[in-house]
Amino acid sequence: MEQRFEGRPEATVRLEGRRLTRTDVTNDWGLRLQWEIRRNGQVIATVNARPDQAYEHADTAPGEYSVVLQMWHYINYAKNPQGEFTQSRFINVSNVVTYRI
Amino acid sequence: MLNVGNEKVSLCSGVSRRGFLTVGATALAGLNLPNLMKLQADDAIDGTRARIKNCITIFLVGSPGHLDTWDMKPDAPSEVRGKYRPIRTNVNGVQICEHFPLMARMMDKVSLIRSLHHRTGATHENGQRWMMTGHDFNADSIKPCMGSVISRTFGQRSELPANVILPGPIGNTGAGNLHGQTAGQLGSAHEPFFLGADPASANFRVADLEVPTGMSGSRLDARRELLGQLDQLQRRTESRTTNMHDSSYDRAFRLLTSQRAKEAFDLNLETARMRDRYGRNTLGQSCLMARRMIEAGVRFVTVNHFDTVFGQTCWDMHADGGGLNNTYFDYERHLCPQFDWAFTALLEDLEQRGMLQDTVIAVLSEFGRTPRLNGRGGRDHYPQAWTNFLAGGNIRGGQVIGSTDRIGSRPHDNPIEPPQILASIYHGMGINLDNVTMPGPGDRPVRLVEAMPIPQLF
Repeated sequence: MEQRFEGRPEATVRLEGRRLTRTDVTNDWGLRLQWEIRRNGQVIATVNARPDQAYEHADTAPGEYSVVLQMWHYINYAKNPQGEFTQSRFINVSNVVTYRI
Repeated sequence: MLNVGNEKVSLCSGVSRRGFLTVGATALAGLNLPNLMKLQADDAIDGTRARIKNCITIFLVGSPGHLDTWDMKPDAPSEVRGKYRPIRTNVNGVQICEHFPLMARMMDKVSLIRSLHHRTGATHENGQRWMMTGHDFNADSIKPCMGSVISRTFGQRSELPANVILPGPIGNTGAGNLHGQTAGQLGSAHEPFFLGADPASANFRVADLEVPTGMSGSRLDARRELLGQLDQLQRRTESRTTNMHDSSYDRAFRLLTSQRAKEAFDLNLETARMRDRYGRNTLGQSCLMARRMIEAGVRFVTVNHFDTVFGQTCWDMHADGGGLNNTYFDYERHLCPQFDWAFTALLEDLEQRGMLQDTVIAVLSEFGRTPRLNGRGGRDHYPQAWTNFLAGGNIRGGQVIGSTDRIGSRPHDNPIEPPQILASIYHGMGINLDNVTMPGPGDRPVRLVEAMPIPQLF
């Protein structure tokens, strides 16, 4: 029995200063939920977003930061020789928020 | 074939001669009240001292690596300790893997058993048989699973069967089909009821429990009458076991026509928020269904987390580059988060409903995984040591029972074998293990398990 994942996850992220707050995820697949943090377009961190609904990234290096909530999207088991998935991937499940330091 | 869910399920016991009836009566356990009363009279069961009334088993097919989950060795060499870091829990001195952050907050309810081991070969099926039945056996002497023993001992509490497996039986795990999820010599009346459908599927419907389209009530009655005549005919020629099939048919009809049963299977009666909290996936919705089953009177529910170890994400982390290519990526993105989310939802939900004290959750698996990473960064089968755990059901939480050596290769103290887990659950349910027996070879009575309960659990 191949696993099924119902619906499409969605959440809303709010930004107050550098503090991020997320809503509950609707249609939550229950897989890895993470904050993806970029500075000047480059991913600098992915942080588990399950434990708490609020998060503030500690990095204060100057630049433009963008943050989005992502969830693992299991499509199938296909992997490359290094063991990395080739089709399953993280997808954005929230709006993107930005701030500048 | 049993056509209860959206998918047809083959039953080991085989009831094809009655394939015209689309609900499978063999899956339904007998009411068995006389047996229960006799056992109580014989002092074999003491309901007043029972700490556990229901059991939900979550079986992690493929088996998590103990060093990557609940028995971490952060001071061991890198090829032993693996990739992950331990985190603190709400119990002083107890750490678990960083990918179980929600479970870490509920460790006070959990009793980790870190010194499990078994002495037979490192196949999935050996481990399944040990953990499901408390025995090793072959096809000549199939032993019953825990749920079937509970079904036979306590009987049915409502229209629903006493023993349910969600979402379906374990399938191909590599070495035969003796997975220990049948009633064995207890007979067909105590076979587990397989849902046979994925409750996370968008088209999952309880309609399959209803009278087939176009079949009126009178036509159903006519079929029941015809079935009764066939049963009478066959009783004259068939064995006692087959008669146990027959005795369940009335209950099958009751299930078919029971509003309560239909509602128990209807996840749409839950709020969207509750369904999200368990996770909109096969494991999460099966755990939610398990809670609904217990609420509706089922005594024993098994949730199989996966039905195979081949060609899909599961706990069997060989990283072999082929069909057994589960890796750390599967663990950190899929398996650990999915389990953490569903398991803690079940704990929270049972507690909020006042059901946790009566309901033990047993998280079980076949074996551990090799202390040293293999050449591709995976871990292989390792029955010499692993960790499983129990929560709820009045067992003592917030503790670790047993330990392994510094690289997780052997039990260091208090070694525990699978039959002791079963003995503990039976004992917790009020079963006197010296008095309650089951039929063995030639109908000779044999003990349910050759083991004593783990005293630290109570």
